[in-house]
Amino acid sequence: MSDPKQLGRVVTGGNTSPAKMRSALLGLSTRIAEAQDETEVCRSVVEGLCRVEFGFEGVGLFLAGSDSFSPALRASAGRFGAGDGQVSELKLPLQVGQSAIGELVVQRERSRAFDKGDLEILGAAANQASIAIGRARLLESERTRISEQRALLDTLADLSGELELDKLLQAVLGRAVSLLGVTGGELAVFDDAVEQLVIVASHNLGEDSTGAHMNLGEGAMGHVALTHEPLIIPNYQVWEGRSPQYTHDTVQTVMVVPLLIGARLVGAIASVHSDPSRKFGEADLRLLNLFAAQAAIAIENARLFAAERRRAGEQKALLDTMQDLSGELELAKVLQRVLERAAALLGVTGAEVATYDEAAEDLVIAASHNMGWDAVGNRMALGEGAMGQVAQTHEPLIIPRYQEWGGRSSQYAQSTVQTVMVAPLLIGSRLVGAIAAVHSDPDREFGPEDLRLLQLFAPQAAIAIENARLFSTAQRYVEDIVLNNPVAIVNLDLDVNITSCNPAFEKLFGYGAEEVIGRNLDELVTTEETRAEAEAYSEQMLAGRRTTGVGQRRRKDGSLVDVEVFSIPVIVGGARVGMMAMYHDITELLDARRTAEEASHSKSRFLANTSHELRTPLNAIIGYSEMLLEDAEEGGDEESASDLQKIRAAGRHLLSLINDILDLSKIEAGRMELDLETFGVCETINDVATTVHPLIENNANRLEVDCSQDVGSIHADAKRVRQVLLNLVSNASKFTEEGVITIDAARESNGGGDGDWLVLRVSDSGIGMTPDQVARLFKPFSQADAATSTKYGGTGLGLAISRRLCQLMGGDVSVESEKGRGSTFTVRLPAVVPERGAH
Amino acid sequence: MARILLVEDNEMNRDMLSRRLTRKGFEVETAVDGREGVEMAKTGEYDLILMDMSLPEIDGWEATRQLRAAPDTERTPIVALTAHAMAGDREKALEAGCDDYDTKPIELDRLLSKINALLENSP
Repeated sequence: MSDPKQLGRVVTGGNTSPAKMRSALLGLSTRIAEAQDETEVCRSVVEGLCRVEFGFEGVGLFLAGSDSFSPALRASAGRFGAGDGQVSELKLPLQVGQSAIGELVVQRERSRAFDKGDLEILGAAANQASIAIGRARLLESERTRISEQRALLDTLADLSGELELDKLLQAVLGRAVSLLGVTGGELAVFDDAVEQLVIVASHNLGEDSTGAHMNLGEGAMGHVALTHEPLIIPNYQVWEGRSPQYTHDTVQTVMVVPLLIGARLVGAIASVHSDPSRKFGEADLRLLNLFAAQAAIAIENARLFAAERRRAGEQKALLDTMQDLSGELELAKVLQRVLERAAALLGVTGAEVATYDEAAEDLVIAASHNMGWDAVGNRMALGEGAMGQVAQTHEPLIIPRYQEWGGRSSQYAQSTVQTVMVAPLLIGSRLVGAIAAVHSDPDREFGPEDLRLLQLFAPQAAIAIENARLFSTAQRYVEDIVLNNPVAIVNLDLDVNITSCNPAFEKLFGYGAEEVIGRNLDELVTTEETRAEAEAYSEQMLAGRRTTGVGQRRRKDGSLVDVEVFSIPVIVGGARVGMMAMYHDITELLDARRTAEEASHSKSRFLANTSHELRTPLNAIIGYSEMLLEDAEEGGDEESASDLQKIRAAGRHLLSLINDILDLSKIEAGRMELDLETFGVCETINDVATTVHPLIENNANRLEVDCSQDVGSIHADAKRVRQVLLNLVSNASKFTEEGVITIDAARESNGGGDGDWLVLRVSDSGIGMTPDQVARLFKPFSQADAATSTKYGGTGLGLAISRRLCQLMGGDVSVESEKGRGSTFTVRLPAVVPERGAH
Repeated sequence: MARILLVEDNEMNRDMLSRRLTRKGFEVETAVDGREGVEMAKTGEYDLILMDMSLPEIDGWEATRQLRAAPDTERTPIVALTAHAMAGDREKALEAGCDDYDTKPIELDRLLSKINALLENSP
């Protein structure tokens, strides 16, 4: 091994003059320096050293390939290797940095030994060669990388938005064809379902073969698909493996490489020359391999995307269903899947994804794949470690030597990870997390294409996180509603078994949730008496119907509680998945109602009894006053007669008041019964007209009756109909002076028979009412106002009773009125009032 | 001169109604409860009986049933008088065997027309 510092020193060797030697050395150096690539460097080294001035007979240069450590002869000159054992050999290592890349071997006749001068010359040459080779390699790899990156960027640029694989592959193929300078090409995808290749892209091959299928082993592509090895067919026209599908006679030479993801075949790419002078070489193969890799990734991505989209759809459907899995759990699953797929595609050791907690402003590890330990749940501050830094900057980050990286989080102190790549997870510009991929293999590195691939997964992870967040927010909202609801809510499966219940349910029934889950609701809360009713509700729910009802249910302690039950089927995506029942404790409500009803009954009973007790003495008052009146009239005592008339009138008024109160209280107590009979309507009207005649005359009114015999008979309570009419007509008469009061009757036919209605109208041209007065009109004790009451008398109960009586008969009374213009009261009654018991 | 038996427990009503009917030309005798009413009716040969329904000892309905069951009184017209005016009272009275029904307080003209109608039709 020589010292590089000795380079350039001229040492005399053999019998060559120093000047010639110097010139030879200079020539060697110049040639090496001018060499354009590795091959030229090698050639220039060996040829330069074989110049006669140096006195070597043969020179060989061995280089280890980038993929192999066994050196291969790359260049030789002179009689290298031709010796028959009569040569002495000197080997000098070639080194780039610390690594050996090959050796320089120099041979000379055994008779001439290598001297120190030779050693120095050769050392210098070896050094120069090493440097030149290193530089050439660097240049080459740079050039390759640039073109590869270019191709990659071009290719991956098409990956945006909707992924159209065929277009993408067409583009890849087009670029490959132009970069290789070939006539045309073809790209096929392997369909592993049918185990055939399908041509998906074709470029300048004369005829478009897109869509054609090829069996494994068929033709050049089929052959490559079978062997997974690249294939160059120099003279295609005479190649016996030609597929009958390829009849083009212009193709001269063909090169095919398989598209592989790991060891898995995804397709094949072919390029052809029609120019017989063109041949395919190693460089062509490497270039095509590069495109093959890109096409393979594109195909794989397309598959993953399709699968991912499908999964995303499934995921969304799953989230939508709001089934028992929590959002967090689902998210972890999704992220785990994303990580596994990302790790497989990137070929990395492990991967991790963290979600950003907006409230705490830190990251939480949400899923971890093959990281050596489970960090799920661990938190990292913004800026802490690789993920924390990415979360802070929103920029992707590659850390080539993680073990030496100063930014490591203490949480990862034990990590043996060698290199790390992290991408932020963003929704728009909002951070939702970060995704990281790591290599534990120190020989592996992350490049831009890795980052690009990682970033392909970022949107999926981001969307999953965002969906989960939205879902869990919605779910928390719903849960809060259920948890804090004063209504007892219980969820059931299709067998009416309890799956969950809220605190209000526990409180209402006295059971803890853990006691009831899994138990049959109907068995749990019903009594023997209410079992059938509760099971009927359950059946309704199972049939997909909502039900409501009121009933009694049993508490844990055996006591009964009055509840209003509301039951609904829970339907997800058209399928019933369970049921929900809600119980509202109506004990207090029912108690209040019972109390109110009791009070109302008591009042009505009291009024009925009191009225009765009042009537007995009134009977006497009216009766005796009438007797005395008769005496006074017979005896001609007009003064007494006048007074006695007043007593009798007051008594009768009091009696009518009591009768009205009695009627009203009977109606309200539900003790008013109807006495139904069939009677003529016109007869009843005429009867009423006769009765009210004195009243009509009092106010100088005129009564008109319009009743056609067509109106016929109705079946109702004649006494009550008469009472209603009498009330309306006497009211009309009271509030009308020197006017006209009209009673008319009509039959509203509803196809004839029992469906008919009788319409009675009592109109007057009296004082009328304001809308306010109309509104109060049918309420008990509400004459239009106190003043009218004083002026017109009456109990103020007549209309209230009339309306209730009509309602009792299945009809009603309504009114139209205008202040100063008069009023029209309309009574509608069914022509046939149905029989029924006490109201 | 038609003979009327008024069965009425309330003294004032009994007095008033009997006197008013007497003035209208009827011969009126009174009983103060159902038992007395039934006894008097069986022996007194009345043309018509006014029967209050709410009576002590035997109520008006029971008294009417007993009278209808007795050969001497089975066809004597009976008018039920009741203060209740409850629906069903009329049916109850007619069921028990009464020929007509009136409510208290008595409107004399109305009652008289009912009495006269029954007396005209009776054999």
